[in-house]
This record gives sequence, structure tokens and C-alpha cells, in this order.
Amino acid sequence: MTGPLYMSGALSFTNSLWIALGIGFLFGFVLERAGFGDSRNLTNIFYFRDMRVLRVMFSAIVTCMVGMLILTWLGLFDYTMLLDYSLLKTYLWPQLVGGVLFGLGFVVGGYCPGTAAVGVVSGKLDAVIFLAGMTSGIWIFAAGFPLWGSFYKSSDLGRITLAQVFGAPVELLVAAVALMALASFWLAGLAEKWAPYDK
Amino acid sequence: MKEYDYAKGFWNPYVAGIALGLVLLLTFYLMGTGLGASGAIARTAAVAAHAVAPEATATNGYFGEFYKTGARNPMIDWMVFEVLGVFIGGLVAVLTARRFRPGVGRGPTAGVGLRLAMAFGGGIIGGIGTRLAMGCTSGQALSGGATLAAGSWAFMMAVFATAFAAAYFVRREWS
Repeated sequence: MTGPLYMSGALSFTNSLWIALGIGFLFGFVLERAGFGDSRNLTNIFYFRDMRVLRVMFSAIVTCMVGMLILTWLGLFDYTMLLDYSLLKTYLWPQLVGGVLFGLGFVVGGYCPGTAAVGVVSGKLDAVIFLAGMTSGIWIFAAGFPLWGSFYKSSDLGRITLAQVFGAPVELLVAAVALMALASFWLAGLAEKWAPYDK
Repeated sequence: MKEYDYAKGFWNPYVAGIALGLVLLLTFYLMGTGLGASGAIARTAAVAAHAVAPEATATNGYFGEFYKTGARNPMIDWMVFEVLGVFIGGLVAVLTARRFRPGVGRGPTAGVGLRLAMAFGGGIIGGIGTRLAMGCTSGQALSGGATLAAGSWAFMMAVFATAFAAAYFVRREWS
């Protein structure tokens, strides 16, 4: 059957919730097996000690990206449906500012939301505290919404992909990202040898 | 590269990455959307706020979205169930690997108090960041990244550039 199944009406809402549980199970399992339940494994990348975060994330992105392209070629996936209805919209400035805050929160707090969930079930108290902090941060965001509500929806560029930004075919962008990933894997090995903080 | 005790026993990062990519691909095939995490925390925060101050929460410019007339209970949501699955899947992975160790992850010379204070402060900043960017590492970087969404790549670059730059200033926490 041609995906995405839920968007083409092949799955009921109730079934989608069961799928959510199953997908979440796999997601959490793999995150734990990647070592992401411990804040040290997550922050070592920023000190060039252990670049596993880069290796895991970039190979996941490339696997999914290439997989989607292959499924599309095989006629098993409707890529245009994704582009028209579910691609994440770009709000350039809020996303850049949000990214700066999130990056700061990542290296200071030691987790991101999904990995903190795995940290909690690994017995890590810092993960519990991190999630409590996140919840508080979201309360602050909601309380101050009148102040930044208009910024939140600003620079709306709609559903736009890198292929459209660069005016290049999707296949070319996929190849470029895959090459970038390979180059970064090679650089990651050099960075670990360099390890400037541990000398 | 030095191998740390706490980093032993996990999957090869490329194997873990490919497995994660296949889970993500399956999600897109089934649902048309990717993975997520911070959205579930936002809904939990809304429900907690609603329990304390129903009026103010329902009329709040941000939380109000979850309480529009005719809207489902905010917790009956795809991402909330997915994150519930993350807890269960993570727990099964921890238990089957005999890796459940109560403790605080921190650098060898950092105190527990410092680390927990930083975890809370970092959580606050990161939490605000996820709402402004409408997602986190799962929803924006991973899922948006794999679909080549322009804003997701901008987010990802901002996240890692900031974290690498800020790492120097919090090196005591992690060294």
C-alpha cells in the first residue's frame, strides 16, 4: 500500500494511537541502546570526547531520507502528500532564536526532551529535574505569550524544503546531505583525537 | 579516543543511527509525520496548569489552543501516546541490558548540587526554546531534517553552533 497510510485515510484515529505506542516503544528502545539515557554520552560531543550524538543523528537522518526517496521511486510513498500537508513549516526567526535557546538548554541541562525520558527510566535524577525544568520553561513561555506571541508566528515561509531554497532537485539535495554526513563522520574521528578539553 | 565506563555496552553508533532512521521512516510511512517529544511535555504542562487555574489556562494565548471548544482532551494525542511508548521502550531496553543505575550524570569533578541546578536551569531555557521553535531534537532536527524542511535545518544549525560555543563556559559541569 502507498504511504503515508494515516493521511490517505487507511487508519482510524484509535489505531493511530496504538501505532504511536508501538513507534514510541521502538524509539525509546533505540535511544537507550544508542547510549542516550545518560547526559554524559549526550554532552561529550561538545567537548570532542565522543561524537556518538553526531554519528547516530546524522546516520538516522540519512537512512530515513534515502529510504523515503527509494520508497517514492518504488511507488510505495507519496512524497507530494508530505510536502503539501505535513512538512514542518518554516518560521525562520523564531526557529533560529528557539534553536539558540534549545542549544544552550541542551549543553547546560544535559538532555533533550526524548533522551530525558529515557534518562528517567534509566534511574537518572538529573533527567527528572531536567524534565521538571522543561515543564516550568513551558509555563513561562505560556505566561509571557502576550509578549512574544507575534514573534512566535513571524517570518512564516510556509512548507519549504532545502531543495526549494536552493532551486535544486530533491535527489541532488539528498546526495549532498549524505556526502556532508560522510565528511562529518570522518571529521568526528579527527575531533576525538584532538579532544582539546582533556589536555 | 578514550572509552569511558559509562559509554560501554551500547550499540555501535552507526548501527543505532540506522535503526533510528528506520523507525523514523516507518513513522513517516504509517503516519505522514515524524517523531516528537517536546509537544507531549507542552500538553502535560497545559493539563497541569489547567488543573490549578482552568480559566486562565483556557484563555491563555498559547495553552488556549488545547482547550478550544470541541477539542479532545489534550492528552488524547498521537505524540502523547508516542512519548508514553518511549518511556516503556526505554525501560525495557534498560532492564534487559541490566543498566538501571540510580544516580546523577555529571563530570568527574562536578558536584551533585551544581549538576542538578544546571539540569533545572537548562531545562527551563530549553523548554522555552522548544516552544519558540515548535519542536526539539526529535520533531525538528531528526524528523524535519530527514524531510529537508528548511526551518528544521536552520534550527539544527542554531542548536549545535550554540551548544559548541557555550560548552566552554559550563566545562566544569562536564569535566
